[in-house]
Amino acid sequence: MSPLLDVRDLHVRFATEAGDLRAVDGVSYSVEAGGALGIVGESGSGKSVSSLAVMGLARTRTATVTGEVLFDGRDLLELPEAEMRQVRGNGIAMVFQDPLSSLHPLKRVGFQVAEAVRAHQDVSRAAARARAVELLAMAELPDPARTAAAYPHQLSGGMRQRAMIAMALANEPRLLFADEPTTALDVTVQAQILALLRRLREELGMALVIVTHDLGVIAETAAEVAVMYAGRIVERASTPTIFNAPEHPYTWGLLRSIPRLDVPRETPLVPIDGAPPSMLDRPTGCSFHPRCPHVRDAHRRIDPPLEPAGGDDPSHEVACLLPPATRRELWAKGKAEASR
Amino acid sequence: MTEPLLEVRDLVKEFPPPRAGLLGRAREPLRAVDGVSFEVAPGDAFGIVGETGSGKSTTARMIARLIDPTSGSIRFGGRDLTGLSRAETKAFRREFAMVFQDPYSSLNPRKTVGSIVAEPLAVHGLHEGRGERRRAVQELMERVGLNPEHYNRLPHEFSGGQRQRVGIARALALDPRLILADEPVSALDVSIQAQILNLLRGLQRDLGLTLVLISHDLSVVRYMCERVAVMREGRIVELAGTTELFAHPREPYTRALLDAVPVPAA
Repeated sequence: MSPLLDVRDLHVRFATEAGDLRAVDGVSYSVEAGGALGIVGESGSGKSVSSLAVMGLARTRTATVTGEVLFDGRDLLELPEAEMRQVRGNGIAMVFQDPLSSLHPLKRVGFQVAEAVRAHQDVSRAAARARAVELLAMAELPDPARTAAAYPHQLSGGMRQRAMIAMALANEPRLLFADEPTTALDVTVQAQILALLRRLREELGMALVIVTHDLGVIAETAAEVAVMYAGRIVERASTPTIFNAPEHPYTWGLLRSIPRLDVPRETPLVPIDGAPPSMLDRPTGCSFHPRCPHVRDAHRRIDPPLEPAGGDDPSHEVACLLPPATRRELWAKGKAEASR
Repeated sequence: MTEPLLEVRDLVKEFPPPRAGLLGRAREPLRAVDGVSFEVAPGDAFGIVGETGSGKSTTARMIARLIDPTSGSIRFGGRDLTGLSRAETKAFRREFAMVFQDPYSSLNPRKTVGSIVAEPLAVHGLHEGRGERRRAVQELMERVGLNPEHYNRLPHEFSGGQRQRVGIARALALDPRLILADEPVSALDVSIQAQILNLLRGLQRDLGLTLVLISHDLSVVRYMCERVAVMREGRIVELAGTTELFAHPREPYTRALLDAVPVPAA
C-alpha cells in the first residue's frame, strides 16, 4: 500500500540579502492513512517551513521548493495554485500555533467555520451554518450554538484552538497538520487539546502530523517521530524507540536537557553546548558536529546520510557517523550516569 | 529559625474593572492577587507556579516594586517595601535584581552588552573609573559564561541563550541578595533552556543567592526550587517543600496540573 503522504527529498531555499538560506535541506518522510507522525525540532530546524512547503504555503517569490510531495499519488508541488487550493482545507488541513491571529477578529466564529465548509462544498448558507455548529460540537466546544455566535476575542485561547480545529475538520480532511498547536496554551488546556486530537484521529481515521519542539507533546500524540536539526531529519523511529533507544547525540541532548517530572529531582540536566547553526552558514560535515560531545575529526568533513540503525526497530534510521555499537554504548553509559 | 529575607503578607492587587461598552455600568474591580502570603529564607530557592491568570506575574511585579499593591505588605530584609522613600527604594534595588522572560526585548538593542551590564554600576556609582568598571563587567560576563572579549558587541550579535546570560550578568552586577526570575527560559529553545537553568542554579548555590522563580512550567520549578507555591485565581492553593508537593499533592488542582504535564516517555 502506498502511503497517504510521501515527501521525497524536499528542499526549501530562500534568497535573502545575506545569501542563500537553506531552510529545508533534503527531507523525506511518509505518513500512512490514519498514521501519526511527530516532527520535533528547535527554532530554525526547518520543521515548520517543511510543513508549510507541503501545504503549498511556501510558494513565494523568494522561495525555491524542490523535491516531491506525493499526496494520494499526486505531486502537490506540480499542482497549479487553483488546484492546490482544492487540496488544502479539503484533503489536507492545518492548525497553527496562534489561533487568534489565524481567525478573523470581526467575524463570528460560526460564520468562519461555515465559510470553510462552503469553500469546498456546494451547500446552502443555512446548511453550512448548521454544519458549523456540528463541527464546533465535534471539537468539544461547550454550547456550540452560542459559541458560533461569538467573536474570537470572546473566547479563551483553548476555545479558539478548538474553533480552529473545527474549521480544519470542515471537509473531513484525510490528513491534519498541527504546527505547535498547544504551545500558546496552559498545561491543563494543552492536555485537553491533545486528547481531542487523539480522539479525532481515532474516530475519523484522519492522519496527523504534529510539529513541535516539545517531546512531551510528541509522546502524547505520535506513533512515529522524526527529529529535525539544521534543515534535515537526523533521526527517525517509532515513538518508543526514540525515547528508549535513541542513537543520535542530538536526540540524547534533547532528552537530557529537559527537566521532567518522571525522573528523580536530583537528576542533573545536561545541556547541549552552543546554539543551533545559522542556516546561511551551515557547518561542514555533520551539521551537529560543533555541538557534539562525541565529535571525531572525520565528522567535520563527512556529511552523514540517514541510514537504517540496524537495531530491533526496522523503522529506526539515524544520520550519525559514530559506529552503531559505540552509539549504543554511549547511550547506555549516559543513562547509567543519570540514574546514579 | 532564620529571619526570612522576603516576607509577603496578605498581598492584594485589584485592577479597575473593564468597562462594558461606552455606557456600561461600573463592575466589580478585578482581583488579580487575592491575599497571598509566603516567606523566603535567605539562600533558598522558592518557586511560584501557575497558569495564565493565576496572579503569579502580578505578584512578581509587586515584589519588584513595579506596581503598588492594593493592600498587604512586602518585607525585604525586615523592612516594609510599600512605604519606602526614594533613597530607600534605590538601596533596595541594590539588593534585589530581576531576570526577565524575553531576552530580546529586555536589552537595549543600541547599546553594547558591556554598557548594558555596566548600567547598574553606573546608576549606583560603583567601580568608578573606566578601566576598573570594564574589569568588573568582564568578570561578570565570565561568571555567566560569556566571552569577556565580546564586551563591545551589540545584543543582536548574540543568540537567545547568550542574551539571557547578558540579562543575568546585569542582574548580578550589584551583588544582590535576591534574584527574581520571571519565566527565565520560556522564550528559549529547548537545548538552551538547560544551559540557563544550570547557570542560575549554580549561581544561586555558589553565591548563596536567594532565588524566587516564577514559571508556568512545573518541571522547571521542580528542578530549581526547594519550596513551591501553586497559585490559582489570585490565591496560593498549595505551598510545600518541592519533594513533598510533587510526590503527594494535597490539592486536587495541584494534582490536575501534575497530571496534565505530558511526560516525554513512551
